Amino acid sequence: MIEVQSLTKNFGGRAILRGVSLRVSPGEAVALIGPSGGGKSTLLRCLNGLESFDAGQVRIADHQLHGGVTPAPRALRPLRQQVGMVFQQFHLFGHRTARDNVTEALIHVRGEETSRANARALEVLTRVGLAHRLDAYPHELSGGEQQRVALARALAMEPRVLLMDEPTSALDPERVSDVVELLRGLRDGGLTLVMVTHEMKVVRKLATRTVVLHGGELIEQGAPEEVLERPRDPRTRAFLALA
Amino acid sequence: MCVPLPCHTGVVTRGLTLVLLGGLLQLGCAREEGGSALEAVRRAGVLRWGVDIQGGEPYAFEDPEQPGKLIGFEVEIADAIARELGVRAEPVQNDWSNLIPSLERGTFDIALNGLEVTPSRAGRVRFSRPYYVFALVLTAREGDARVVDLASLKGHRVGTLANSLAWETLLQVGAEAVPYEGVREPYLDLAAGRTDAVLMDDMIASRYGADVPGLRTVGEVGEGRYAIAVRPADNDLAVAVDDALGKLLQSGELRKILARWKLDNARQEKLSHDVDTGAPSSQRALSGGHVLLFLQAAGMTLLVSTAAMLLASLLGLVLAILRRHGPGAVSALCVIYVELFRGTPLLLQLYVLYYGLAGVLDLGPVTASVLGLGLNYAAYEAEVYRAAMTSVPRGQMEAALSLGMTTPLALRRIILPQALRTALPGVTNDFIALLKDSSLVSVLTVVELTKRMTITAVDVRSWFLPGLLCAAMYLAMSLPLSRWARHLESRLVRA
Repeated sequence: MIEVQSLTKNFGGRAILRGVSLRVSPGEAVALIGPSGGGKSTLLRCLNGLESFDAGQVRIADHQLHGGVTPAPRALRPLRQQVGMVFQQFHLFGHRTARDNVTEALIHVRGEETSRANARALEVLTRVGLAHRLDAYPHELSGGEQQRVALARALAMEPRVLLMDEPTSALDPERVSDVVELLRGLRDGGLTLVMVTHEMKVVRKLATRTVVLHGGELIEQGAPEEVLERPRDPRTRAFLALA
Repeated sequence: MCVPLPCHTGVVTRGLTLVLLGGLLQLGCAREEGGSALEAVRRAGVLRWGVDIQGGEPYAFEDPEQPGKLIGFEVEIADAIARELGVRAEPVQNDWSNLIPSLERGTFDIALNGLEVTPSRAGRVRFSRPYYVFALVLTAREGDARVVDLASLKGHRVGTLANSLAWETLLQVGAEAVPYEGVREPYLDLAAGRTDAVLMDDMIASRYGADVPGLRTVGEVGEGRYAIAVRPADNDLAVAVDDALGKLLQSGELRKILARWKLDNARQEKLSHDVDTGAPSSQRALSGGHVLLFLQAAGMTLLVSTAAMLLASLLGLVLAILRRHGPGAVSALCVIYVELFRGTPLLLQLYVLYYGLAGVLDLGPVTASVLGLGLNYAAYEAEVYRAAMTSVPRGQMEAALSLGMTTPLALRRIILPQALRTALPGVTNDFIALLKDSSLVSVLTVVELTKRMTITAVDVRSWFLPGLLCAAMYLAMSLPLSRWARHLESRLVRA
């Protein structure tokens, strides 16, 4: 489903990613962990073309991205309709209600009827526990509610791959397990997940594989219990000791 | 000599200030109660005379060979009068349209600069005996047989200088008088078919109209007099000036001066006969008719401003979007547009659009006004929108793109609706500014609110009431807008 080959990205004369390679199969849930500044978010953003990169290539959901090329936004449309993204800062559309945040792309990108889009919005917002907040604007929602709307917005598009940056960071502890449960169901249904997270509980419950990024390099990967319990790389050990 | 720019444009922007100044001064500044003006002049040894040297040849102008030195037939007359009074003449530069208000506030002792004796002016100042008899010259297009005399002008558009004798003559015969502020433009517009005739003093007609191709001189259809304006309270100075002019006439010096400037002719024989400049007409009060004209002018201001703002908003939006999201060359063009239109005077732009491009682009005065103001304000609106778009977090665009939107769709559905909210108060403020800047279009002969005020002020011989009425009408338009802007801002803060 995803194949990253020797991805290299420099920014301002600094190497952000140094030749990262990664393969993700359909239905896998990959957790990107590691210290801040290690390149986790940048890698995630490279996967849906929000960041261009200098060398290497990415194949994702049958689409190709090449290093050194900045594709036109129009060319990325098919890719992005199949690859969903949940941002760390949510980026809900400030002038739209929770429902309209979800229906916006259904209507204007996929061309769905309003009534159908509204039904779909109700369905996904119900799944994230927000059926009662349909008409609330983002500034009226708590951080956790906004994060769940952002997840619902991405899910409504029925992506084949879902990219998530710290998807549980704003949630109340009791909500975290609900969301993890929901994502597990989707994973088991064949959705491919790639997430950046600092929460090891989420890694253990949700991820099928853990990837450690450090200084722009992939230094270690494996099953969560393996990496988290028996890290081989001293840098992973140092990171986990603090996490 | 060509006059490419209006001589007296300052009046439009200075009008309101003058109302306040003039109003106060008229109340409080009757100078040196009981003191003799003539004695004051003699004590000072200087006769200060108000003149606008931009009026050009032959009145009073800078010697092209000796910059800084003033020459002209009026300079020589002023010198001669001062000599008779035993003092020295000192010219004081003053915007021509404001010569009389400046005389009233005491900026100089007399005003001597092609001031025609009109009933309106005669009610406001004390005129001396005339020093020149001019003819009103009617000019029309070659082949236009409709224009034959004054009576034939009824219902036609006829260009002239506002508040001149020709202006009042045109209103009397029922012509549509089109007010200009320069002396060359009326003839150019006549040739371009924007008006049907021009009525001007012979001095202007022969110097600025005769060489315009395609025009013919219909003939002299009336005459009037140039005289020196003195404050009514300074009667002894006025009498002394009359005496001095009488002596210059008797000695033949006045005619010699006129002859030197090729102005002497049979008409000037009359100078010896009419000592009196005619009784002033009784003072006219601000009437219901005036108010009606003000309302009409306010309508013009509102029409021009609204249409211009509409154009500016739309064009500004396009400029802002192309600057941020267009290809490099297009984006650069947008930057150049904004800098060009922001960095050069609006007045100059209006002039280029209406007079400069007259050969290429045949625009009516109102169309040119809307276009000129709109193109200019589009530059400002583009910056307002650009700032507003910059204030929308980057993540909004990223989220939209991540959902598969194209950039145009994301702009339309996500970025602009949020940016416009931020921009709206700024745009409303600019609209208020535009309402007032629209007074500049009077240089394109559009009679809007400020122009109507200056015309009426001369008519009723006071700035005070017309000024108040004008200010009240501007406020009636801008206050609701300000309230709306504040309302929008408070809504924004809550959101």
